[in-house]
Amino acid sequence: MIVGERKPFDEIVGFVRDCKKILIAGCNECVTVCCAGGKKEVGILSSALKMAFSKEGKDLEVKEVTLERQCDPEYVQQLSEYYDQYDAIVSMACGVGVQELAMSYQDKLVFPALNTNFMGASQGQGVWEERCQGCGACVLGRTGGLCPIARCAKSLLNGPCGGSMNGKCEISKDVDCVWQLIIDRLTGLNQLQMLEDIFPVKDWSCAGHGGPRKVVREDLKS
Amino acid sequence: MVVGGGIGGIQAALDLADSGFYVYLVEKSSSIGGKMSQLDKTFPTNDCSMCILSPKLVECGNHLNIEILTLSEIESVAGEEGDFHVRLIQHPRYIDVDKCIACGTCAEKCPKKLADDYNTGLMKRRAVYIRYPQAVPLKYVVDKENCIYFEKGKCRACEKFCPADAIDFDQKEIERTIDVGAIILACGFQPYDPAISDSYQYGRSPNVVTSLEFERILSASGPYQGHLVRPSDAREPKKIAWLQCVGSRNTRIGNKGYCSSVCCTYAIKQAIVAKEHSDGLLDTAVFYIDIRTHGKDFEKFFNRAKGEMGVRFEKSRINSILPGRDEGNLEITYLNGEGKVAKEDFDMVVLSVGLDIPQESIDLAQKMGIELNHYNFVRTGSFDPLQTSRPGIFVCGAFQGPRDIPETVIQASGSAAAASSLLSGQRHTLTKEKEYPEEVDVTGKEPRIGLFVCHCGTNIAGVIDVTEVTEYASKLPYVLVAEENLFTCSQDTQVKIKENIREHQLNRVVVVSCSTRTHEPLFQNTIREAGLNPYLLSMANIRDQDSWVHQSNKAGATEKAKDLVRMAVASAAKLSPLYRTKLPVVKKVLIVGGGIAGMTAALNAAGQGFEVILVEIEKELGGFARNIQRTLQGDDVREYVANLIEAVNHHEKVEVLTEATLAGFSGTKGNFKTELSVGPTMHHREIAHGALVIATGASEYRPKEYLYGEHESVRTQVELENMLSTEGEKIKGWKNVVMIQCVGSRNNANPNCSRVCCQQAVKNAISLKEINPEANVFVLHKDIRTYGFAEDYYRKAREIGVHFMRYDEHEDPIVERADGKIHVTFMDLALAREITLESDQVILSTGVVAGNTEDLASKLKVPLTSEQFFLEAHVKLRPVDTQSDGIFVCGMAHSPKTIDESISQAMAASARACRLLSQDWIDVGGIVARVDPELCASCLVCVRACPYEVPFINDEGVSEIDISSCQGCGVCAAECPAKAIDLLHFEDTQILAQISALLEAS
Amino acid sequence: MRLTYPDSIRIIRLPCTGKIDVIHMMEAFRKGADGVYVAGCLEGECHYLAGNLRAKKKVEYTRKLLDEIGIEGERIEMYGIAASDGPRFAEVAKEMHEKIMDLGPSPVKRVVRKGVPS
Repeated sequence: MIVGERKPFDEIVGFVRDCKKILIAGCNECVTVCCAGGKKEVGILSSALKMAFSKEGKDLEVKEVTLERQCDPEYVQQLSEYYDQYDAIVSMACGVGVQELAMSYQDKLVFPALNTNFMGASQGQGVWEERCQGCGACVLGRTGGLCPIARCAKSLLNGPCGGSMNGKCEISKDVDCVWQLIIDRLTGLNQLQMLEDIFPVKDWSCAGHGGPRKVVREDLKS
Repeated sequence: MVVGGGIGGIQAALDLADSGFYVYLVEKSSSIGGKMSQLDKTFPTNDCSMCILSPKLVECGNHLNIEILTLSEIESVAGEEGDFHVRLIQHPRYIDVDKCIACGTCAEKCPKKLADDYNTGLMKRRAVYIRYPQAVPLKYVVDKENCIYFEKGKCRACEKFCPADAIDFDQKEIERTIDVGAIILACGFQPYDPAISDSYQYGRSPNVVTSLEFERILSASGPYQGHLVRPSDAREPKKIAWLQCVGSRNTRIGNKGYCSSVCCTYAIKQAIVAKEHSDGLLDTAVFYIDIRTHGKDFEKFFNRAKGEMGVRFEKSRINSILPGRDEGNLEITYLNGEGKVAKEDFDMVVLSVGLDIPQESIDLAQKMGIELNHYNFVRTGSFDPLQTSRPGIFVCGAFQGPRDIPETVIQASGSAAAASSLLSGQRHTLTKEKEYPEEVDVTGKEPRIGLFVCHCGTNIAGVIDVTEVTEYASKLPYVLVAEENLFTCSQDTQVKIKENIREHQLNRVVVVSCSTRTHEPLFQNTIREAGLNPYLLSMANIRDQDSWVHQSNKAGATEKAKDLVRMAVASAAKLSPLYRTKLPVVKKVLIVGGGIAGMTAALNAAGQGFEVILVEIEKELGGFARNIQRTLQGDDVREYVANLIEAVNHHEKVEVLTEATLAGFSGTKGNFKTELSVGPTMHHREIAHGALVIATGASEYRPKEYLYGEHESVRTQVELENMLSTEGEKIKGWKNVVMIQCVGSRNNANPNCSRVCCQQAVKNAISLKEINPEANVFVLHKDIRTYGFAEDYYRKAREIGVHFMRYDEHEDPIVERADGKIHVTFMDLALAREITLESDQVILSTGVVAGNTEDLASKLKVPLTSEQFFLEAHVKLRPVDTQSDGIFVCGMAHSPKTIDESISQAMAASARACRLLSQDWIDVGGIVARVDPELCASCLVCVRACPYEVPFINDEGVSEIDISSCQGCGVCAAECPAKAIDLLHFEDTQILAQISALLEAS
Repeated sequence: MRLTYPDSIRIIRLPCTGKIDVIHMMEAFRKGADGVYVAGCLEGECHYLAGNLRAKKKVEYTRKLLDEIGIEGERIEMYGIAASDGPRFAEVAKEMHEKIMDLGPSPVKRVVRKGVPS
């Protein structure tokens, strides 16, 4: 899932300072699962903003809505009937959702309430870790299913750097050296020889370095 | 048939009626409730007595399978066990109970005023009256003895004014013969009448009152509306004395040699409550012989009284009580703890009167052919505490021996178990089933709220302006009816509520009174009887949360009451009906612990026809009792335990699993699943059962003090007892034996009294003197706590020359080696000097400590006390239930107790378990979490958050919560990031509506 | 026990403090409460195992959020009180009441009272 977290409150207040009526839009997908932008968080942000306005002697009217997904235009369209009654839309979706709203409602200010962090996985309640950077050319088949692009601070492809100490990355004692994990796993699988093939220089053009990417399935296209 | 409508009779009747038997509850007065209804507060929690009793009264009064026969007396009992024919006389009420609406007009118009016995003569009542406002049945009664019409042949004012035409002077005595299978005697006690003796000034000075009179003085419904004043001049007393053992522990005043067991703790309660009534300025002194706070957590209550509350305790002998210097005062002359004469003046004296058996109970026993003991209590055996001398007739409560409310309730349930076992073949043959009217569909309908505000006598109305609150409430949104009642919990108010629901088509009801904890079920039942779903009730607690805690701020309390009412109304408008589903009950009970308690419970439950699994951690059954030879009364414990083991092992319905431990536990009442690891191979077994009884016992404290384990002549009472039977010759050689009491009890590490050690010491001291009359036996103690009939043995021990010496509780005795002997040095309080005893043997009366309960408690999710004993659901009225439905506790796992007490409690636990198992179905649902699958993001947050591991992602890919497993805590609802889960009855909309109602209107 | 405590306190009943949610506390402040405290079981003695620990974390989260908004976080507190401990209940009520009296009215309330609709 895409993992995000709420922006500092001041920053959000800054966006909507001059508004009288706003629409806060949550998303019932990834950001609900990572407890950042679901219906519950929409309610809390709404309450917090109204309180902050009240404190300043100002009134703020908030419409709370949580869309099934903000990354699909059909869901985004659900706001079309009433969005124009509001001075701005605050999206609690990931950056994708914010942009979909912005592009759908050209005449409306759209602000993000979250910082979108990464694609990751839950490590139990309340903890998420990064797992994928969407590089467009997956190497997991050669690295025991563990990603050196997302999980190595240097995205090294041919083994650990000299900063790997006792299985931990030199950037922090709390971060596993993914190369240690890869080697341990392949050893366990008796597949360590896989690492004898040298990775060629990685083509980063499909990782976004060649500009915004697009996927088209001709067979599905209407 | 249950004879006696006090708390014991009520509990026995309810347990039996809920277990599938039709019950006749015979009461000689005009209403049930007994002595408990007259009490102000109950120890050690100081709960309001009427408040906890009242729901039971109503439940009894409403029960389809309990027939209450008031004003009734038993004439004779023919037949035998299983087939009795009881002839009884029902005295006329002179009121047609079907017509009486309890409006009180008759009493208002009655010209005759006389002393009100319910209020111990401190108030007047009329000749037509109700005993108390919450009386069940709530029907007036004409007191024939005092009625002017019956005396002089004319008057009939009541008849003339009765709006319901309910007075019927033509009623005659009715004789009835009722066939019953078993009889339970719950006739209770009467307070000792101190007027028999002239030495207390009782009857001469109005300021000398009995403890029961003092309860009425303290009570909000009593003569002074709960203001503590003395009777002579209605002035607030500054100093009050309590005299203990009035009518107890005294063979010179007419065969009152027993200890009444309850007076010490009730005196402490009264002193604390009195101090609370007077802002702590009151000086309270308790004059005592021994303080006997031997009940569960009572010692802590005593310590609190002594410590933070500043109640004085004077160990003393009273010489005289005479009129004091100031008008109305009393001067007490006494020998103090050091044997010196002291004098003190008091404004009031409370006589802590003992528990006595009334003549009519003695007569009844004779009519029934029941043997009584030398103090006129029902004679029972050490191992058969509930069985009278006549088979099929059982006894409970104070008629069996002086005891407090929880012990009475335990015996009441226990006697119900005994009767159920006898009649198990007849279960459900005579009972009727309750049918509620079909529920009115309220979906989509605009709320129509009826609101009922309670005065609770003066409990609420004494502080809050109830009329103003009612008036205010009537203007709130959706409120169609707003009424005030003297007691909203009384039976007539239930009728009124139902009438209002029908007349005004109400679809929500708000009761503004007291705690949901005690009263919600009652009002839920009421609205259900009027066709409303029980969850369409909302309550505002303006008593516990308002009038009781803001007594000195009447205006503030009234404003707060309005806020609370507004919140309750807002919440009510958002209520929706909740439905329950039926689940079958697994008719099997699992009992953990194979000691006397566990085996007794097992045999009773099996006798009632249910399958039993008895789980014992050791290789053998028997528990701690295997270390005990005899009871205080001299009965053979070993033989008894051996017989029990034999019976349990051979009962076809009991499966015994030894060396078995509980590995896992899940489910809800009626449908538990327990995983066991059994036998030396620890093989895994999974057992489905409907109820569970905890009977894991307790342990003996292992002393680290007094040279125990270091010197061969220092041993425990249990070790001594084992020697008594086998090493008599050796014991004959002992010249000086010193016993030390309270080893491991009543100290900082274990603040409670272990209850059994004083009896054990007395028992062994007598044995030592019997083996060698020349031996000197010294018992060093803090107080000797031989409560009840055990006092006889304490007296006997003193008579045969055992020396009882009191040591300073702040200074433990010192035990030292000295030339092969042992020196025991202590501060003797009577002589006020240090004494050293040279002794051959030192016997330590070691306390009872809880077993290793933590693991079991956490698996069963049952709370423990701070001393690690299992905590009951309510100290007074639910002494064997735990907070988890379907799990019960008995024996030493609950608190230290004697064998007969353990047996009674085991029977009670069996009664409560079998009450559940006798149902074919239980309802589940109600307040549980519900998932809206449309909103669910399948995020797993609820799955991870639930402490009971209930939610799971189902085949549709959304979270599902099983209603029979959901405990209703609401954690999942609070955590759900999609707001897809709501805890029914505590939905977000309801909580937010309360917040809005509270804050937006202020 | 009928111990007196300040009459500024209004109780909202929950089955377990684990049911309390950030939004409930936020809305109470937004609508003008000067203080909010959550009274749960003692730590380790939750009737529902750990509801009180969850509540404590939610109280802490709400406190941080209040601080971010510029409302004194001390206005919110979590207390563990044994069900049988009436005296502690009264003590906590007094403690909270006094703390709020020292802080004065909530900055939100000052404005709400000026007539800004909710």
